[in-house]
Amino acid sequence: MVRIYFAGIDLGSTMTKVVILDEDEQVCAYVVNHTGAEHRRLANKVMEEALIQAGLCIEDMSFIMATGYGRINVPFADKQITELTCHARGIASFFPNVKLAIDIGGQDVKGLKIRNGKLLDFVMSDKCAAGTGRFLEVTAETLGLKLEDLGRISLGSTQKISVSSTCTVFAQQEVVNHLSNDVPLEDVVAGLHDAIASRVARMVRRLKVEPDVVFTGGVAKNIGVVKALAESLGCPILVPEEPLLSGAIGAAIIGKELTFKALANGETIQTGERRLEEATFFK
Amino acid sequence: MTSEVSKGLTRSIELYQDRSSRVKELRAEGKKVMGYLCIYPVLEMMTALDIVPYRIFGDLHEPVTEADSYMPAVNCPFLRSCLDIGLKGKYDFLDGIVTSHICDVGSTLSSIWIYALKPPFSHHIDMPHTLHETALAQEKGLLEDYKKALEGLSGKEMTSEALEAAIRVHNEQRALVRELYELKKLNPPLISGAETIQVIKAIESIPVDEGNQLLREVISEVKERSNGPQKKSSRLLVWGSIIDDTAMMEMIEGLDANVVMDDTCVGSRPYFDDVEITDDPLDGLAYHYLVDIKCSRTFRVNNYMDVHKDYMKDLEIRFSYLKDYADEWKADGVIMESVRYCDTHGYDVPGIRDYLDSIGLPSVYLEHDYTEGALAPLRTRVQGFLEIIG
Repeated sequence: MVRIYFAGIDLGSTMTKVVILDEDEQVCAYVVNHTGAEHRRLANKVMEEALIQAGLCIEDMSFIMATGYGRINVPFADKQITELTCHARGIASFFPNVKLAIDIGGQDVKGLKIRNGKLLDFVMSDKCAAGTGRFLEVTAETLGLKLEDLGRISLGSTQKISVSSTCTVFAQQEVVNHLSNDVPLEDVVAGLHDAIASRVARMVRRLKVEPDVVFTGGVAKNIGVVKALAESLGCPILVPEEPLLSGAIGAAIIGKELTFKALANGETIQTGERRLEEATFFK
Repeated sequence: MTSEVSKGLTRSIELYQDRSSRVKELRAEGKKVMGYLCIYPVLEMMTALDIVPYRIFGDLHEPVTEADSYMPAVNCPFLRSCLDIGLKGKYDFLDGIVTSHICDVGSTLSSIWIYALKPPFSHHIDMPHTLHETALAQEKGLLEDYKKALEGLSGKEMTSEALEAAIRVHNEQRALVRELYELKKLNPPLISGAETIQVIKAIESIPVDEGNQLLREVISEVKERSNGPQKKSSRLLVWGSIIDDTAMMEMIEGLDANVVMDDTCVGSRPYFDDVEITDDPLDGLAYHYLVDIKCSRTFRVNNYMDVHKDYMKDLEIRFSYLKDYADEWKADGVIMESVRYCDTHGYDVPGIRDYLDSIGLPSVYLEHDYTEGALAPLRTRVQGFLEIIG
């Protein structure tokens, strides 16, 4: 029997994620890479890499679904759906009892209210990147630290400071001020994580916080933010093994569902032109 | 009559793109053209004295550079834009400006406008914000002052007959707009949300009788054409603060939805109730502008003291007309939109959301900062909302 495959591509503001699933929703390949500069979204390279990893070619894909901020014009995708719906679908595939999902990506924060695997409502941060991955990147740079070390360092905190702003610019001033007052680094970093967590908690409260609460996106790799978020929300936080992939996995699963629905109705699934070219940001 | 040959939708687009073209011709012929901000400066009273009302809008595509000297960045971006393009000379041709107390920023803007732009004539209607018993009498008194001011400008008396005639022609315009909106009840609607903004903006840029002619042309054209809006998965009602540019509607309608009804002020809001012709026409006008027009700037409860006793009942009194709109136009969902820093509309958002939740109508709230750049992130919100309700 011929295996059939589905690809999901999530073009985030910072990272591009491609996942190839088989019909049993098993991951055959996944690649996470930088999205690239505004005018040259190298989505095609990430897609090619995933295809090589899976030992497949683009024609083997029954459906390719694009999602994420850059989803609008992916020349090799068959359809585009928002990251809101795709994240909800992807997260529910790992955590079927999820009720609230929080995704903190490179430049925005999303809260998703999910019931029975379906997205019911959402909140999103504004176009300001306060309290997102970018905020942590800039902060790490100011502190002379590696982004991936922030979480571990913050765990050593004994008396975390209070940071009043998640504005990337204002928070840097506060950080510098605290450091000049000899506040230990781990207390400063823990304070920054707390500031992110309390901002997100305020945002998602409208959606009602009840378990299971799942945290995804690049920032979910930071153990310090996971801990701070659990404290702010007053409940345990679940994080998938690879928190960056939920959007791409959700996209691939929705593509699979559309394909199977079409097949069941005796219809042919509509695919696009599939030009494996760079994605321009907008039409 | 207009000197151009174009008609209907083409004429609407021309006027949308070059709004002052017609009124500048009329001014050259000796007519007075009066700028007005927001929908409250009783247009009938201008028309009664043969003054052409010309609504002041902002320009979403023009970065605010001049208004910063007069208004802080935390003020309404729409009103900042109006002042900005005023400071850049776009409204220099006007014979004056009439403003009203739409909100505190709008009221302050009128003083700034007078100070910074020195219009030859100005008048401010300091209208009340509630429906207290005394409010209607106050509104009528304010209209009496406004009448005297306009008479002083034109050198003519505003007779009751002239005012009644003006009310009739403006009521005719309201009836024509409602007739146009009837065509949006069809599936697909015969005219898109973006085209509706073009038409409304066009009729607010020309004398009322010419506007009525334009509306008749548009109505017969959209009934006949074959290239109108396509059927989409969702039919939306848009509520909120001013949308004076097609960009947001185009963004929404570029997705899998048609905007079939609106409750916004460059839309149905000023046109959905007629002015009653009363013995003293000012009575009917005062009632219409204070009570009939349902904008967040007027706090609407039947009995002022009832507030907070029964929240859901209060919401029903204030917002049940939105349910009527959704039922009649068969809307599947509501987009609530507000320009950033609009306290007036912002305060109504939680209440409207609660009301819509209570009647099972899904909604999404969009706050935008009156720039083109703000639309891309909003697209994700709207598309996500459509995926939920679709």
